Amino acid sequence: MAQLIEFPVKAAARAGNALVEPMRAVWPTHSVDDYGRDPHLISALAPFTRLRWSVTVGGTHHLPAHIGALLVCNSRRYSLSAVYAALALSEETERPVRFVGRPDIAPIGPFMRRIGGLLANPADVLSALSHNEIVLVAAEGTSHPRNAGKVPHELIGPAVVAGVSIYPVATMSSTIGRSARVEVGPAVRARRKRRGPLAEVELADQVQHHLQRMLDGFGGVHTGVAPIDWLAEG
Amino acid sequence: MGGELGSLVAAKLEAEPWVGALVGIDIDPPRRRLRKAEFHLLQPSQRERIVDVVTKFNPHVVINLSVWEPDARAGLAHARKFTADAATAIIGAAAECPALESMVVRSGIEVYGRERNSATRPIEAAPVHPTSEYGRMLANVERQAREVGKRVGIAVGTLRLAPVLGKHVPSPLGRLLRQPVVPFSLFADSPFAVIEDGDAARAFVLAAKLRLDETLNIVAPGAITALQAIIRGKRVPLPMVGPEWSIASKLSHVFGAPIPDHVVELMHRGRLADGARALDVLGFSPALSTPEVIDHLYAWESVVRIGSIQEAVA
Repeated sequence: MAQLIEFPVKAAARAGNALVEPMRAVWPTHSVDDYGRDPHLISALAPFTRLRWSVTVGGTHHLPAHIGALLVCNSRRYSLSAVYAALALSEETERPVRFVGRPDIAPIGPFMRRIGGLLANPADVLSALSHNEIVLVAAEGTSHPRNAGKVPHELIGPAVVAGVSIYPVATMSSTIGRSARVEVGPAVRARRKRRGPLAEVELADQVQHHLQRMLDGFGGVHTGVAPIDWLAEG
Repeated sequence: MGGELGSLVAAKLEAEPWVGALVGIDIDPPRRRLRKAEFHLLQPSQRERIVDVVTKFNPHVVINLSVWEPDARAGLAHARKFTADAATAIIGAAAECPALESMVVRSGIEVYGRERNSATRPIEAAPVHPTSEYGRMLANVERQAREVGKRVGIAVGTLRLAPVLGKHVPSPLGRLLRQPVVPFSLFADSPFAVIEDGDAARAFVLAAKLRLDETLNIVAPGAITALQAIIRGKRVPLPMVGPEWSIASKLSHVFGAPIPDHVVELMHRGRLADGARALDVLGFSPALSTPEVIDHLYAWESVVRIGSIQEAVA
């Protein structure tokens, strides 16, 4: 006669409850949005991000309140400017700002997705923009903090397709210090109406030009010691 | 019509005023009481009988739901064979019907695949690049339907469903999440979306009514990660790093919840899709969000003891 072996479901459920209850109290059980961004994790990490960056944000009045927008920021190599700018702008505008350029490899990729990262993939950018999200794209990294790198026109294309405005975002941060600055400029308008892919290529050039003008407006390094300022200017 | 989704679709179609007569074919009898529908218990391999039933009925609309998810109602080998046989027989038979105007085919968001750098929330226009066996099976069904549609000049609508969960739906994902101890990917706890069976059935009815002629994603709004689902269900989370997934899936098989490759893929890489177009085209918006579907999954009892019901009645 066969004997029925029953898994101790009740005991396992009790153990599960005991294990999970403290986690439920600390962590909400539904905190990711449609793209995997986790606002709860972001607010939990905020004290740590403030340890690294103290960001001054300006020009957010240019940004739309409800519709989508593509932001383009300059990027000094290894400065993670897209990350701190997106986090600071999210906090300032009280709207999720997603940055583009997360890797698609664990554990960094999934972690960056949780803090608002999208893949550097036009399909991802278009999907977010067409759902009225704010997306931040970084220009190519440069070694000089006040040089705007080339703006990737393939990531500007989705904004043209979705019909959203493009805003330059100048960023500046110190390699060793905490101070950082994020300044949003007015929307960049295309000089000529184009029907084809030239629209995004020309817009990308214009955005880079605007970014450079904003960075020039930031002025140079002010340490109070002139020779150091000259050296810093390269 | 014998599966949970098929029975639901049939029940909803019976209530539609535009539906005159209804014929269904499946290897299992219907799970609901159907008043109007005529049912034929046939194996997918009985092609001639299927062709005979379909051509005699000469329908205006054919809904092909005959997709066997691996490890849901059948193991991988059987699921693959049943799905291929049923697609050949039903889509082929539909092509022989002179009155046919439209065909609606079930597919899944598994067809997009989850290879590196693939879109996070693919839209319907995203390239089909399945990376799991189930995804390849679905892509094959879609291809067959599309080819037949072109050949005989009928509208072909494809509904790509997110993983279907519901109270009685046999689903490897649902079964896994309801285990007392549930594995999850520690370093890549990626978000996924699902759809409730009732919502999926409603989408099929709307697609048939409107003679859908394109592909749509049918996805509940919102997303959830495996760990969040486990915590919601008060299960014991078992963190996995990578290689031990194969051991976990074998162990889970022993406990009655096999984990096929598309579910492992979902746990590692997540599975989202953009379902906004279904609202524009069909006017369809799911009644339940993804977290609500997960709550419903955990809300029903594993075993309802007859004694306890009698006591409650008394």
